Amino acid sequence: MPAHPLRVAVVCSSNQNRSMEAHNILSKRGFDVRSFGTGTHVKLPGPAPDKPNIYDFKTTYEQMYNDLVRKDKELYTQNGILHMLDRNKRIKTQPERFQSCKEQFDLVITCEERVYDQVLEDLNSREQETFQPVHVINVDIQDNHEEATLGAFLICELCQCIQHTDDMENEMDELLQEFEEKSHRPFLHTVCFY
Amino acid sequence: MASGGEQAHVASQNYSNEEGAAFDMTTSEKVVELLNQAALISTEEKLIILKQVQELIINKDPSLLDNFLDEIIAFQTDKSIEVRKFVIGFIEEACKRDNELLLRLIANLNMLMRDESVNVVKKAILTLTQLYKVALQWLVRVKSVSDMEEACWDMMTQIKEDVLALLDSDNDGVRTHAIKFTESLIITLSPRTPDSDTPKKQEGDISLDKIPKDHTYIRYDTLCEEGKSALEQLLKFMVHPAISSINLTTALGSLATLARQRPMFMSEVVQAYETLHANLPPTLAKSQVSSVRKNLKLHLVSVLKHPSSVDFQGQISTLLLDLGMSQSEITRCTPATVQPRKRLHHEPYVEGKRIKMDAPLAEDDEDKEEPAPVVTPKPSSSVGTQSAIDLTAEFLLPLLTPDNVANLVLISMVYLPEVMPASFQATYTPVESAGTDAQIKHLARLMATQMTGAGLGPGLELCKARDEEVKGEDGGAAESSSKDPLIIRKLSAVSLGQAISVLGAQAAYKSPITEEAPQIKKLPEPILPSTQPKAPGASGRKKVFKLADVVQPFSEAQIEKLSNMAIKRILQSEKVIAQSGMSHVRVKLLARLVTQFEGGKKNDLLQFILEDMRGRSELAFSLLYHEYNEYLSQQPSASLDSYEHCLYTLLSGLQEKPEQRDGLFTKLVLEAPVITDSALEVIQRYCEDESRVYLGMSTLKELILKRPSRQYQYLNVLLNLSSHEKEKVRSTALSFIKRMYEKEHLKDCIEKFALTYMQFLVHPNPPSLLFGAGEDTEVAAPWTEETVRQCLYLYLSLLPLNHRLVHELAAVYTEAIADIKRSVLRVIEQPIRGMGMSSPDLLLLVENCPKGAETLVTRCLHILTDKVPPSPELVERVRDLYHKRVPDVRFLIPVINGLEKNEVIQALPKLIKLNPIVVKEVFNRLLGTQHSEGSSSMSPLTPGELLIALHNIDSSKCDMKSIIKATNLCFGEKNVYTSEVLAVVMQQLMEQTPLPILLMRTVIQSLTMYPRLAGFVMNILARLILKQVWKYPKVWEGFVKCCQRTKPQSYNVLLQLPPAQLASVFERCPEMREPLLQHVHSFTPHQQAHIPASIMTVLEANSRKPEPEPQPELHRPEIIEEREVPVPKHISMPAPVLQAEPPAPTPVEFTEPPPPQKQTPRSEEVEEPMEQEETDHAALEVTSEAVSQQVEVSEEASQSNSISEKTDEPMEESTAMDVAEQPKEESEDVAPEAGESSVD
Repeated sequence: MPAHPLRVAVVCSSNQNRSMEAHNILSKRGFDVRSFGTGTHVKLPGPAPDKPNIYDFKTTYEQMYNDLVRKDKELYTQNGILHMLDRNKRIKTQPERFQSCKEQFDLVITCEERVYDQVLEDLNSREQETFQPVHVINVDIQDNHEEATLGAFLICELCQCIQHTDDMENEMDELLQEFEEKSHRPFLHTVCFY
Repeated sequence: MASGGEQAHVASQNYSNEEGAAFDMTTSEKVVELLNQAALISTEEKLIILKQVQELIINKDPSLLDNFLDEIIAFQTDKSIEVRKFVIGFIEEACKRDNELLLRLIANLNMLMRDESVNVVKKAILTLTQLYKVALQWLVRVKSVSDMEEACWDMMTQIKEDVLALLDSDNDGVRTHAIKFTESLIITLSPRTPDSDTPKKQEGDISLDKIPKDHTYIRYDTLCEEGKSALEQLLKFMVHPAISSINLTTALGSLATLARQRPMFMSEVVQAYETLHANLPPTLAKSQVSSVRKNLKLHLVSVLKHPSSVDFQGQISTLLLDLGMSQSEITRCTPATVQPRKRLHHEPYVEGKRIKMDAPLAEDDEDKEEPAPVVTPKPSSSVGTQSAIDLTAEFLLPLLTPDNVANLVLISMVYLPEVMPASFQATYTPVESAGTDAQIKHLARLMATQMTGAGLGPGLELCKARDEEVKGEDGGAAESSSKDPLIIRKLSAVSLGQAISVLGAQAAYKSPITEEAPQIKKLPEPILPSTQPKAPGASGRKKVFKLADVVQPFSEAQIEKLSNMAIKRILQSEKVIAQSGMSHVRVKLLARLVTQFEGGKKNDLLQFILEDMRGRSELAFSLLYHEYNEYLSQQPSASLDSYEHCLYTLLSGLQEKPEQRDGLFTKLVLEAPVITDSALEVIQRYCEDESRVYLGMSTLKELILKRPSRQYQYLNVLLNLSSHEKEKVRSTALSFIKRMYEKEHLKDCIEKFALTYMQFLVHPNPPSLLFGAGEDTEVAAPWTEETVRQCLYLYLSLLPLNHRLVHELAAVYTEAIADIKRSVLRVIEQPIRGMGMSSPDLLLLVENCPKGAETLVTRCLHILTDKVPPSPELVERVRDLYHKRVPDVRFLIPVINGLEKNEVIQALPKLIKLNPIVVKEVFNRLLGTQHSEGSSSMSPLTPGELLIALHNIDSSKCDMKSIIKATNLCFGEKNVYTSEVLAVVMQQLMEQTPLPILLMRTVIQSLTMYPRLAGFVMNILARLILKQVWKYPKVWEGFVKCCQRTKPQSYNVLLQLPPAQLASVFERCPEMREPLLQHVHSFTPHQQAHIPASIMTVLEANSRKPEPEPQPELHRPEIIEEREVPVPKHISMPAPVLQAEPPAPTPVEFTEPPPPQKQTPRSEEVEEPMEQEETDHAALEVTSEAVSQQVEVSEEASQSNSISEKTDEPMEESTAMDVAEQPKEESEDVAPEAGESSVD
């Protein structure tokens, strides 16, 4: 389907790290990509594991950035959160929630199984109209910077392969199996309909 | 489509020039312009423009739709997929806007459904999903249906069937879309009920319940049947064992939707889920299994949430538990209150659809009361269809005793696959409630599901039996129900031309529906498998094409022939492949292929390579490596034969080709993984080729240095070549070995080899080893010069590098036979000279001089001092040896110039007794006449001193003859013994007392050589008179002789003799008296007065008085004679020298008046030698030149004499041969022979 570029959504839970990393790379490679979170809130690491910084999806990256600078600039510089936010705000203004987005995609890639479940639940709960299919693929990525980068490259490669298929739906199964063997991780894959 | 307007806006900006105008234009004109543009531009822009047009004519001004429909539709044949998809979208929008357009567009949609692009087909299916509902709604609205409309609906029905058939499409995505279409179709063709969970947006959609039963063309019953048929197809599709993961997921979702929107299908859906869960397709990968299970869980939950699931909660919960959901979660999803169900609503539908809805009731006893009235219309059939699984389950339940179950487990163990299937691994959850009633029930149900699926079990049989009855009952009704559509369709069928097929399909549906209804769960039917070529599991179930069934095996010969031809073709395609740049593949292919075959092909390939070794070297190497690889892969029982053959053939081929570039040979040898014995032989042959010897040996050297594991074997080849018969081969080998010899680890080996070969020399016969394999030399062949040398080449070339080896030579030398000794002495010159006289080992050899090796040592000494004067160390060693151990004067000769003067004088008597040639050499050394270099200055004796020393040799120590010969040698050196030197010698000798016997001989000789010495000689004679020369008979004899020769100068001397002595003179030479007398007479009277009277008396008187004194001394000459008798022959040799000077009267100055003449009786004593001389003289009167020639001739003669005399002594023969070969060295070679006589 070379005529229209693959419409891709990358989804993680807070639309900060994994989805944004992939968003970054995919948009650089020319994909029509959007990124989302599925959580009810945006959570960022805090001073202790049990004290995360919690924002709602309306808060812009810029605001989060300023908030964290104010709270403990050194800590958030050191753990890379500020850097990440800085990167994010260059891509778009604020995190988006998948459940709130009514746009249609060809491909939704989720970054962990919980997110995948939430996406499926959301898509299945929507009323079907056009029966336009959307493929949902889960690629498990741990939520840290390194894995996010690696995962983003994997996602990007996957998207490029899918983009280059003549008949995406017909070749998807085999493609994913090849990728599973190559990357040694299982992919969950299903199809939903708008 | 929502973005259409936006894009249109963007696009319109692109044409902003015209936009201003566009405002004024009518919509129609704008559309015309846009369409004109669209025809000419690229796909992307075309899409934008077309969307603009669509916006304009559908939304802005629908009145235009009709006008421009054809123009838009014309794009359905556009090359671009996207444009064609747009057309489909346009059709959808247009038809939604104006349903009448369906009449015109349905055919186009039908055409696009058959588009070659799957993406277009998919889009068409999506559109059809919408338009089917639109069409139905539209037709239902229309009260009276025209022919056109009927045809349109027929076409739609036809397309619908086509899409359903696409469930069997090859393409996964198409199937997915077909499933969704089926889902939508079922919902449309089934009645909505109050408990339907209908999406808000679809509230207005048509469904079966809105279809009037009295419609003129649309038949409620038909549609109802079609809906059921679609569900059947969907369910059948789902249980296909090779269904793809995505299709399965889609179908699961569709079923869930169906269950929620049409709760009447809840039973089928739950059963389908159950079946699926128990029989996950084996073709799914592990992750796909997880995906499917996740989906199943999700959909089960959504179904469970529906109020109508109440009757199925037990089954659903069990499934969810199995899928890993906790009981509490399940409870949370379960609808809180059990609503009173109003089954009555279903009744109208149940009429047409006998099946389903009662399924749960049969299972659940509580509910039996309620469904009972519902079921009443056709009780038998509904119970029958429901209980196929239930009956079997009930039948099984009591049988599941612990014993039976245990047996079942044990039996099934045998059939377990070796690897746990992914689906099992994923679905397995520990059985928590094992043994409880509930669990046993569940198990029974699971087994019943499987059995029914497999077509087994009492329930199934019972059902079949009942079905038979039902069919009979049903027959009439079914026929009647189908009658109407048949009749109605007849009209349209003709016009469409498709009626027959439609009818056929319709008719075909009839019986399966009634018959298969109870068997929904049946596993794949023959139709299905062939329809899923995409699925990997499908092919296994087909009748497979087997090659073996249709082909015959070739005979051995055919195989051989064909493979040969194939290889030949690959061989011959060399150039073509090279041009394509794939020659490396060809090389690899050939090597691999040929390695696997025996015999002929290998030889062919090798021959091929050898035809152009340079161009095909890559192939050669590849083949070689493959052979070796083959060998390695067969370890440990592998044989190197094949590899060896390959290597050998290649190397031999190279070796035999004269013009071959040589680098290849080296490369092949060095890069071969292993050098076999036969290959080594080829290398040796290569080295033996004189034109390639250097390259061959370089290669060999590389092998030795770079293949340490077998380097000694390679080294041995090189060593063997060092005694090769061809000079060039040998010398090259030697020079290579010498270089190797510098390597510490090879040193021993080389040395050992050299010494072993040298040791052969102690054997009586040369070992057969020395003879080349080709030569048929008998083992007992005698040693020859050649064989001796063969044994020594290597040793001798090593000797200068390692002097210690010289002792080994000495040891061998002492044991060797004479022939070998001679050969050895001949060949050692070069190496010994190379060692130099400062070599400690050589000095040590001289010092020790093993017994039997004297000749060797002497030879060494000669070689060393041949060109350079001896070093003090050497002289010291030799002197020690001479004095302390071996008193052989021959040792001294080489170092004679290093000795003290008195030592030389002491040794002289012994020296001059040696072979004349040796003596000559000694003198040469002493006189410095031997070398071109001015080493004479080194001589401890001046020539004069030497001559004097000779005169003073005690005659008891040495015979006179030797001394005479020695002096003659001196006189032979005219350059050294000039008249001045001789004068000094004579002067000194004359002053000695007593006078040396040979004094006068020397005088005469000197005078003969230098006639101008006559004056000096007269002086000497005069002074001799004063010394009463006559008292020394020999000297006196010579005196007289001299006077006789020097007359008339000697007259004055004679006159000085006392009268008696003068008389003695006359007695000897009577003829002298008269001339002397006349001489006196010629004197002036005054002078005459000085002549004593006694003298005159002697002069004048012819007295014959015998002398008183001479008488007793007459015997002396006899004594001398006797002493000299043994050597007369020898004397003949030096004699000529004496007579060399013809006694030509030469004017001699008289420095002194002649002494008074005296006659002495002693004169006779000298007579004998004098006479001898005279005879000789008389015999040979020749010029001095002739004389010198004569000397040489006679010397040679004497040599040959001595050679013939002494055959046993090795030294002699060697001498003789050396003389022949190397004339320059003759004097040296003589030395040992001369020594022999003295030792003897």
